Amino acid sequence: MKVAISYPPIVNDQGQKAMVSQNRNVQFFQKPTYLLPVIHAQAATSLKESGHDVYWDDGNAQLKDYDKWLSDLVAWRPEVVVFESTTPVMKFYWKTSQELKALLPGTTIVMTGYHSMRRPEETLDESAVDVVLRSNNLDFVLLRLVNEMSKNPFWRLNSNIEGLTIRTSEMEYRSTGNFIQVEPLDKTPLIDRDLVRWKDYAFENGNFLNTPGTYASSVVRDCMFGKCTFCRYNGPDLTFSMMSVERSLDEYQDLIENHGVKEIFDDSGVWYRGREARQFAQGIIDRGLHKKGCYFGINTRFEYLDEETIKLMAKANFRFVLLGFEAADDETLMRLNKGYQMEHVEKCLTWMTKYGLHPHLTIMVGYYWQTREQLDLTVKTVKNLMYRGLARTLQVTICTPLDFTPYHLECIDQGLLLTDDYNDHDMSKLIVKSPLNHDEYYKAIREMYSITFNPRFIARQIMFLGKMRKRDWQFLFTYSIRAIRRVRQHIFNLTRNEGKQTEVNKHN
Amino acid sequence: MDSFQVIENLRLSESTFKLRTERPNVPIRAGQCFSVGTKDLGINREYSMYSAAEDEFIDFLIREVADGIVTPALGRCKPGDLVEIGGPYGEFCLPVLAVAEDSFVFIASGTGIAPFHSFVKTFPSLNYTLYHGIRYEDERYEADDYEASRYVAAVSQPVSGRGERITAVLSRAELNPDSHYYLCGNRQMITDTVQILRDRGVPGGRIFMETFF
Repeated sequence: MKVAISYPPIVNDQGQKAMVSQNRNVQFFQKPTYLLPVIHAQAATSLKESGHDVYWDDGNAQLKDYDKWLSDLVAWRPEVVVFESTTPVMKFYWKTSQELKALLPGTTIVMTGYHSMRRPEETLDESAVDVVLRSNNLDFVLLRLVNEMSKNPFWRLNSNIEGLTIRTSEMEYRSTGNFIQVEPLDKTPLIDRDLVRWKDYAFENGNFLNTPGTYASSVVRDCMFGKCTFCRYNGPDLTFSMMSVERSLDEYQDLIENHGVKEIFDDSGVWYRGREARQFAQGIIDRGLHKKGCYFGINTRFEYLDEETIKLMAKANFRFVLLGFEAADDETLMRLNKGYQMEHVEKCLTWMTKYGLHPHLTIMVGYYWQTREQLDLTVKTVKNLMYRGLARTLQVTICTPLDFTPYHLECIDQGLLLTDDYNDHDMSKLIVKSPLNHDEYYKAIREMYSITFNPRFIARQIMFLGKMRKRDWQFLFTYSIRAIRRVRQHIFNLTRNEGKQTEVNKHN
Repeated sequence: MDSFQVIENLRLSESTFKLRTERPNVPIRAGQCFSVGTKDLGINREYSMYSAAEDEFIDFLIREVADGIVTPALGRCKPGDLVEIGGPYGEFCLPVLAVAEDSFVFIASGTGIAPFHSFVKTFPSLNYTLYHGIRYEDERYEADDYEASRYVAAVSQPVSGRGERITAVLSRAELNPDSHYYLCGNRQMITDTVQILRDRGVPGGRIFMETFF
């Protein structure tokens, strides 16, 4: 069958592009970062390997405007189009599906993503979508679905593939039950880099110090912790699965030796820990991949990696480590189910810095309970960590309820949402009732991003040069220039609603 | 996370111990897990609760990983030592309304039996069957806590006789598609078991899993 995996360009009224792919919380940027959607890329690879004709159609990364994207897609005459969506762009996708259906009435439109996965009937009610895929493991399910569609003309009525909600007539749907995915990740193919045009994503990514960079096939799907209330990787409908260390090493070797990749990031919710982390780092060293000028990056949690493992990872040329530092106060950490305490933060960051890794903190503000004291403590702690050189970069976002995570459901149940317009969930403004005026949170964002320009922070970066590590020189002279541009963009995006308390915007 | 005193540390087999600590003063449901680590270690790991939800203490069933860091440290803990505990977390719990009426099938490998022990201790009249996959006979961990007719162990490496994997036992077991199936243990066991359950007509909505890392 002819299957298009499609990301239409989405541009807001300020000319900014929505960054949708790779399960992200959608944000709009003037200078976007293009992230390879790993699971969709594995799905594309899997379909191709099974003999289907696959069209990798990322209108954003391929720098198309909407009309060009649409006309190219229609000209290709796909039999199946697969979208990935999330709360703030649901309305856009519903409209787009209708437009596409009018042009290609015989095409089956499949919607993926956590929002529709948790409210499939809503998407079928509001759009021309034919199937909602209720699983993040869409590589496995999509292949089964497409295979069935190719040989069973009555698939809408009698398919028993789990995890689908299927439109059987205009307003009638059929659920095939909950999806239970436990097939080992080793069974899904490693990404066909040429098929997904990997170079489109290799340069415009603020987290790469070296380019070309790329994302590895994630070694962990969903999350091994899976309990943080604000996160999509949470819920009894999800489970985690893990790829074998040797297989991941094989992919890294291929990326470095055959594609010339200079930085590889694994975007698993949480990367390996313990024995697997050590085996992986040792495997990189044993294969000599640590001497090929390629940096490695991961997501982890503060309390997951011990000093010996971090030391080994540094030796293996790991550099960028992304850590969720959602807040500094105990109440927030408890409410979010985060499971770390400041002692873990200090220890972990001290070890990482000692061995030359570059920790990156992702901070959130604007929880519906966040008080002045809690907010101040977070800002003060972040400053302290950054000025002491324990973290090198940071990213601050407004905690935005979306995709029916437990945090989102709490906000709905307690009547805390100020809007029921999904477009307002784009992380550009606070949309929950909060103890403080919204401006206080925007100020905190500005304050934390401004750390980058503080002489104490810059002086600390200069001191790192004394360690004579190439990465520290690159960080100061290459990355900083890029970072300043991005920091200014982040400050603009996240504080442009300063002075405008979000008003109630409800239709019901 | 807060610090709690160790009350008891009991070896149940060569590699496995039961760690009993003071109970955090929070509501706890059977089947939930906690982050646990020793003081000053800087890292922790998640373990399912082994004791009943209303017990005045918390038990954890922990297998010591030879080249690990957290489990050997916890294994060395003595009564009076402090451990850090965060939580509880998770939704691997029984549906309250179904507990009195429905039947449950619990399938565990190794220390994956912990949440099921907690279920059985918390709900004494539970209608359940427990399948337990273990390598050695001494890994039956307090099997007397289950009614003999409800506990089925599959020993893969017995001292004498032929070993059998839990999946082999399940393949010939009578499995009611209307029961609730709870699986906890290593990934391979869970992968294989879900396939067996699917083949036997158990719908996905009746299968719940907690997978070891």
